[in-house]
Amino acid sequence: MGELDGRVACVTGGTRGIGRAIAEALLREGASVVINGRSEEKGAMALEEMGAGDKAHFISADVKSREGCESIISGTVEKYGKIDILVANAGGASNHAPVAELTDEAMEDSLVWNFWHTFWTMRAALGHMIPQGWGRIIAVSSVEGKVGKPGLAIYVSAKHAINGLVKSSAQEVGTLGITVNAVCPGLIETDIVKEVLPVAAESMGLESYEAALDLFAQESAIKRLNEVEDVAEVCVLLTSEAGAGITGSLISIDGGTAPY
Amino acid sequence: MGKLEGKVACITGGTRSIGRAMAEVFVAQGAKVVVNGRDEEKGQKCIEEMDAGDSVSFFPGDSSEQSTVEGLVDHTIETFGQLDICCLNSGGVQMTAPVADMTDEEWKLEVDWNLNHVFWGMRKALNHMIPREYGRILVTSSVEGKLGKPGIPGYVATKHAVNGLVKVAAQEVGTLGITVNAILPGVVETDILRDTGPASAVAMGLDGYDALVELFTSDSAIKRPNTVEEVAAVALLLASDSGRNITGTLFPVDGGTMPY
Repeated sequence: MGELDGRVACVTGGTRGIGRAIAEALLREGASVVINGRSEEKGAMALEEMGAGDKAHFISADVKSREGCESIISGTVEKYGKIDILVANAGGASNHAPVAELTDEAMEDSLVWNFWHTFWTMRAALGHMIPQGWGRIIAVSSVEGKVGKPGLAIYVSAKHAINGLVKSSAQEVGTLGITVNAVCPGLIETDIVKEVLPVAAESMGLESYEAALDLFAQESAIKRLNEVEDVAEVCVLLTSEAGAGITGSLISIDGGTAPY
Repeated sequence: MGKLEGKVACITGGTRSIGRAMAEVFVAQGAKVVVNGRDEEKGQKCIEEMDAGDSVSFFPGDSSEQSTVEGLVDHTIETFGQLDICCLNSGGVQMTAPVADMTDEEWKLEVDWNLNHVFWGMRKALNHMIPREYGRILVTSSVEGKLGKPGIPGYVATKHAVNGLVKVAAQEVGTLGITVNAILPGVVETDILRDTGPASAVAMGLDGYDALVELFTSDSAIKRPNTVEEVAAVALLLASDSGRNITGTLFPVDGGTMPY
């Protein structure tokens, strides 16, 4: 008997990294899970690796568009009849630069990828959750949603904005059986980080990708990076019945990095 | 296979309410637990009700006294051979009053009960945990560790203080396999609140106990008190292997009360 038997979950950016770990943890607890990604091929591979049969489903969509985001939510409801749990997990940032040199395009791309995607999926999911009187929304934010680093303004700004969105919506639906929380992980060496951190490292004035990893680890108390499982287990807690009393929270999963 | 198989925990104020709920989930997950409380009779009743055989032991004493807190750690190690999880959970107020009317006696009691007890227990536990390079320290703080309410200055000040203590200790032992976290519940209708709430209400200028509960819950998004089970679920996460990379965190279980 799992904590989430009978629940339907949807995880954006769920084929790899943190989202994949969350999807697997929710499956383990009995939920049916939709994972999303851009690539059909990676989606099919993820489903095969997860080996969950009809309990898992892939929806190909680009979260950088409203239509894409809304299709993920409507596709989840079509497939499993409802949506109980939304994990807005996709995100990242490319084309980092110090603020003085930032392009409009870089800022806009990060806001769409991280912030607008969270808003679009949240709004669409709430449309289903409010009438059913039950829901769990988790935004995968970041330690950078609480603090700032030079050279990462596009990411830091978008993650701070997500945290604000979470706080407001939590207040709005607090009495309706719906919780809205953000998890704020420290740096985790996922595939997407391997792709985007080298550029970020340059923008931060660091020598190398490794130097960036080390900078994040050294800021923590544990002096190492976080792991995807850390985030997944907190998501299980937040989506379980016992999580009903936790909402509007920005939960640090960062080995002691954020000061608050 | 439980999540705390082979682990040993001690809990101050563990015979009732939040501490008791922690004891129950820890035992259910395979841990051995020593609960502490002032009242021998309530201790025996707790042991009987938990019905966990040799897995649970009672250590009597007032946790506002150093000898009790240090004795609890010693007793746990003597009884079960080790201490893995130290829950510094007891605390409260005996008499509420605005700062202008606060007595030295009450102030000192609250400092001993809420702050010094946590320091004494943490120091003693760390000296056992550091050589073993494993440990979990959980402090039951409160939303009042981040906010302030008129009429309970000692409680607010000491809960703020333990949050600071948690952050420092987490940084000190971060690389030693030891995590130190605070859990910040919103109002929970515990026995101790039912005992002391009516007087607190008077000190805060409120019309009775129900008005007190209403005041605290009206600050939240969920407009209801939190439950001991909600707090215990977070304690389990932090105490288990899944919590290994979460430290120095002030973990809210407050239904969306705290603004940060």
